[in-house]
Amino acid sequence: MQYILNYTEAPDSATLAGYERAGGYRGFRKALGLESAAVIDIVKKSGLRGRGGAGFPTGMKWLFAFQDPKTPKYLLCNADEGEPGTFKDRRILEKAPHLLIEGMLIAARALKAEQGYIYLRGEYPAAKKTLELAIAEAYQKGYLGENVMGGGGRFQLSICRNAGAYICGEETALINSLEGKRGQPRLKPPFPVSVGAFGKPTVVNNVETLANLPFIMEAGAEAYLKIGNPQCPGNKLFPVSGHVDRPGLYELPMGTPLKEIIHNHAGGVKGGKALKAVIPGGISAPVLTAGMADCPMDFISLPRYGSMLGSGAVIVFDETTCMVKVAWRALKFFEYESCGKCTPCREGTGWLRTVLERIEAGGGRHSDIALLEDICNNIIGKTFCPLGDGAAFAALNFIKHFRADFEAHMGGRCPYENSVKSPDAGSGRPAA
Amino acid sequence: MITVTIDGRKIELEKPVTILEAARGAGIEIPTLCSHPSLELWGGCRLCVVEVEKMPRLQTSCTVSVADGMVVRTETPQVAQARKAMLEFLLINHPLECPVCDKAGECKLQDLTVKYGAAAGRFEEGKRAYPENTDDPIIVRNMQRCILCTRCVRMCEGVQGAYAISAVGRGNKSYIEPFSGGRYDCEYCGNCLSVCPVGSIMSRLHRYSYRPWQMDRKVNTICSWCGVGCTLALEVRDEEIKRVTPDFGAGVNKGLLCCRGRFGYDYVASPQRLAKPLLRNKCGELDPAGWEEAYDFIAGNLAKITREHGPQSVGAIVGGGCTNEDGYLLQKIMRGLGSNNIDSISRLGLLPVQQIIEQALGPGATANLMEGIKISGAVLTVGGDPTSFNPVLGLQARAASRLNKPVITIGYAPGMKRHRSLSLNCAPGQEGVVLAGLLKEIFNIRPVTGDNNSLGEAIGRWQDILPSAGKVSELSGAAALDIKSAAKILAETHNPSIIAGRELASYGMGKANALLLAAIAYMLHAKVFLMSELSNEQGLADVGCAPELLPGGGSNSEKGLTLMEMIEAAASGGLKALWILGENPVFSLPGGDAVTQALKKLDLLIVQDIFHTETSGLAHAVLPASGWAETEGTYTNLEKRIQLLKKAIIKADRPENWRVLAGVGSRLSLDMAYNKTSDIMDEIAKVSSVHAGLAYKDIENGPVWPYNGKPPVMRRTPALFENSRDLINQMINDADAQKRLPGFRLALHRPLAHNGYMGRNSRALLKIDGGPRAILSNGDAERLGLEKGQVAKVSGANGAFKFKVELCADVPEGVIYASNVFKGAGAMGLAGYRLDPETMIPIAVADGLKVEKA
Repeated sequence: MQYILNYTEAPDSATLAGYERAGGYRGFRKALGLESAAVIDIVKKSGLRGRGGAGFPTGMKWLFAFQDPKTPKYLLCNADEGEPGTFKDRRILEKAPHLLIEGMLIAARALKAEQGYIYLRGEYPAAKKTLELAIAEAYQKGYLGENVMGGGGRFQLSICRNAGAYICGEETALINSLEGKRGQPRLKPPFPVSVGAFGKPTVVNNVETLANLPFIMEAGAEAYLKIGNPQCPGNKLFPVSGHVDRPGLYELPMGTPLKEIIHNHAGGVKGGKALKAVIPGGISAPVLTAGMADCPMDFISLPRYGSMLGSGAVIVFDETTCMVKVAWRALKFFEYESCGKCTPCREGTGWLRTVLERIEAGGGRHSDIALLEDICNNIIGKTFCPLGDGAAFAALNFIKHFRADFEAHMGGRCPYENSVKSPDAGSGRPAA
Repeated sequence: MITVTIDGRKIELEKPVTILEAARGAGIEIPTLCSHPSLELWGGCRLCVVEVEKMPRLQTSCTVSVADGMVVRTETPQVAQARKAMLEFLLINHPLECPVCDKAGECKLQDLTVKYGAAAGRFEEGKRAYPENTDDPIIVRNMQRCILCTRCVRMCEGVQGAYAISAVGRGNKSYIEPFSGGRYDCEYCGNCLSVCPVGSIMSRLHRYSYRPWQMDRKVNTICSWCGVGCTLALEVRDEEIKRVTPDFGAGVNKGLLCCRGRFGYDYVASPQRLAKPLLRNKCGELDPAGWEEAYDFIAGNLAKITREHGPQSVGAIVGGGCTNEDGYLLQKIMRGLGSNNIDSISRLGLLPVQQIIEQALGPGATANLMEGIKISGAVLTVGGDPTSFNPVLGLQARAASRLNKPVITIGYAPGMKRHRSLSLNCAPGQEGVVLAGLLKEIFNIRPVTGDNNSLGEAIGRWQDILPSAGKVSELSGAAALDIKSAAKILAETHNPSIIAGRELASYGMGKANALLLAAIAYMLHAKVFLMSELSNEQGLADVGCAPELLPGGGSNSEKGLTLMEMIEAAASGGLKALWILGENPVFSLPGGDAVTQALKKLDLLIVQDIFHTETSGLAHAVLPASGWAETEGTYTNLEKRIQLLKKAIIKADRPENWRVLAGVGSRLSLDMAYNKTSDIMDEIAKVSSVHAGLAYKDIENGPVWPYNGKPPVMRRTPALFENSRDLINQMINDADAQKRLPGFRLALHRPLAHNGYMGRNSRALLKIDGGPRAILSNGDAERLGLEKGQVAKVSGANGAFKFKVELCADVPEGVIYASNVFKGAGAMGLAGYRLDPETMIPIAVADGLKVEKA
């Protein structure tokens, strides 16, 4: 059963009329009849966990902010979908913007927040347009404004566009950016739930998290708990890309095995080739081997396989893929996106990238593998925010699972046919 | 009580501090690069990591607070490995050019690499390369060496409040740059380079001219540029000040400096300094002479004039940068000759305003500690921009704003534009009207109750003449609503601070304004801080450099002339001899040519200064003065804190001022048997009640007024309030009249890089601010077709000058702010004056000026 993507597939789904026809805003109407505490309680009971990557229980986060005596409280939607391989929020933003607005209205009702911001990825111009139209419509119809639905209090909603930094998906960097400051993470504690945007209690929720709320309000916590894994219930959006026959976005219950997603839903590995590797949760999630594809896709199971669910973005690699090049490309991304605040991430990601680049270009030495591992270990556990840790874990796992690929490069050239001669040529995008 | 264990030592703490602070307090050193006690927490360099029991990963000790029962280990193999790794990372993009880097020897990265770093690097790929940027004349940026600790940015934003620099770019390609690009468009406080741990941001003034370990000496002393009295250290090599360095743990400034103190030291070694005494010969030319010859000449002529024309025909003026000892000796000579004609530059504002406020509120009412400003409930500034008058005092007002305290400015205060919650803008001379309106509104909210004293009674008598907010708005231009909300903010806050500058009394009715200020302070239980433009205005008043005051502040009933009265007496022939120590009245006083003509009439003009000035050209005897850093002595700052000046340059070419004064004094049969400056202080301690028993050894701790002694019994002045009603009425009428004057009205712009006329002798300060400027309102500039950077001609009855135009929203229409720094372009030259009979301040009168494109 789908309760997110069904809205994106309905006729005129981006308009208020189309969304209402498809059943939209029923969840919010229900929330309107409830006290803040009751809404928080339902969400707490539902077991909803944040879909941004960390999987923090949403109800708990709300409660912290709700209980903080400072006012006003701010609700921030993290729509800065920047994790490579991830395109789940984009579908909601472009095709069912009212689902997000409804989710934010429910959250605002729970938090008694009067101002919400959608912090939108800068490279989503189409989403910006649809969102702007949807927000305008919602104001016109009284879902947003000074007196929501004639008695729901005040809720204003604005869009703030990211200027192109991946780190601003980290919630404290997002808040800095929203305030007009340099997009770099802040010290925690204090956490945003007590000292967030403009020094006030602030809840930052992912688009997909908020898109779960209308269903939870409408169907109830019990019904929600029955979907997926009881420890992390509900459906999850899985963007699947790479060497599969039917790349795309799939809404499946939490805990659906990875191989089922690849083979049953995404049509299996392209061209009948053998599966070599899968990144299960966006580029920051450590890579899995083909043998690990039986892993259930949820917050609990993936760590047992040495990885994490992250954004749920599945990136599939077939047997012809050079994993050194994948590692190099991943590190190129992390180096570019490191904000520069802390030493190990700023300098370490760049160093890893240069060594990988040299190996891929044929200048590798056997000692480089130990060097790479050493650099990774020098980064891990010492960075300011998880970006550097993610980069180092990713790099370490490419080496751990595909050491043979690395060793095969030491002969002087990349053994894979489709590899480019110099990885730095062109835009740095992986070759087709 | 919190108990933590660090490296096996139990440490008890009153309140939760960071692990780093707790460790340092216990003498356990943890290496850091990005953390700094004056700056916001950051946690970026990751060098200060430590092991904390029950915490899964290493923790940065600079950001994690201690908790009761915490067990911390600062030196374990895991910690050492992490530090080694961080240094290896930092050195990836750090050029190994220590042999040519000025920072070598005091570079934190270098020191830590020696202690924790690997013997060799493993990074073989190319380093980040940025060319060194020398676009700025003062500060050189070498971004290749930058370790991106952002101390400089946090200093600039979070402490200085200048918001001039930022990290630009992302990740390992980030670098620090001013928003203005190559050259800094900033306040040049240099605090960024004070905190740079490596050689990335450095001063160009002394590049490649020393190694830190080659300094001959480092002398902790007091800055001479203004009355804040910042502590700083002079580092000297070959009898030349190489650089000024801050001490973040000491003094009233806790390491913060302004551009004058940081960079304006080179004038001491200027080849333009006066070297030999000059005596006017029979042909009217100045001839070099020996010191003994000069003493004889001066003493002989002073004695002769006194004999022939009586003691009232001699007088002396002491400049605001002179030490207490120098000032004391000159007043001793004058009083020894039988004359009370002795005054200091403090007469132009600080002393008269202080006398009125202290008579109203009590002796010592203006002796308050600056560090209290940021923790006071609110801040009100009036009569000058604290960030240019007394820059480091201004930082306290900015700090208050950063702590979300309301900050209200009256009049021109562009340095506070980002740090004030409310601006009651008005033209110069209208401050009193705004104060009167504010007092009326405060009275409405919080009436005077209980206290049955003369001030309370007086305020009661003023009530019906105080103008309404609407009337104030009409007269001054400050919005009525803003006056009401300012009054509300101030009336509802606890113990606000009021920072007042001498402009409160420079353009109008000083006594009325000072009384109103005292009344507001009284109503609000506010602490009053009087800005002191020059370094020792307070001290000179304390040691008797005023006709009505004896050393110690005791009143003197015998008649003497104040500063401007002496000039007038010279013009009328009553004054025959004038000794001017460290001041340039021809340039600094309003009146222009009238002052020159007056001084030309003297039979004997003695000018003792470190450079030739407009005034020394008129002198019969010119004595080269010893400068700051060349003499010992004491300064008393605006808090009324007495502080010790040390001698940094030992082999100076000239005798110290006090020796010169003593040389002349002894020839006049005065007791001048001093061997060192402390002997003079010992004598002051005998004759002055406030300095009673004070010796140099007590001054090390910077005692605050009444330094060591007893406050003098304040002379009861029932007259203080007698005419107050009339004065306030007159002040309001004056404001009304002023409003209707045609043409431009001139006021003094005080550039941050200059103070008085001394800055023009510093090459460094001239590089920062090299020419006369005039600040206009946007509206006037548009009307006159003038743009920023263009040259404008300002002309009036007394002459015409050219200035470079700048625009500022704080300038009301019809007003032009111009600087009085540069030869041939001093704004004071355009002004006439009238002597305020209440304060004896020469009030600059410069109305009806014409401004046009040059």
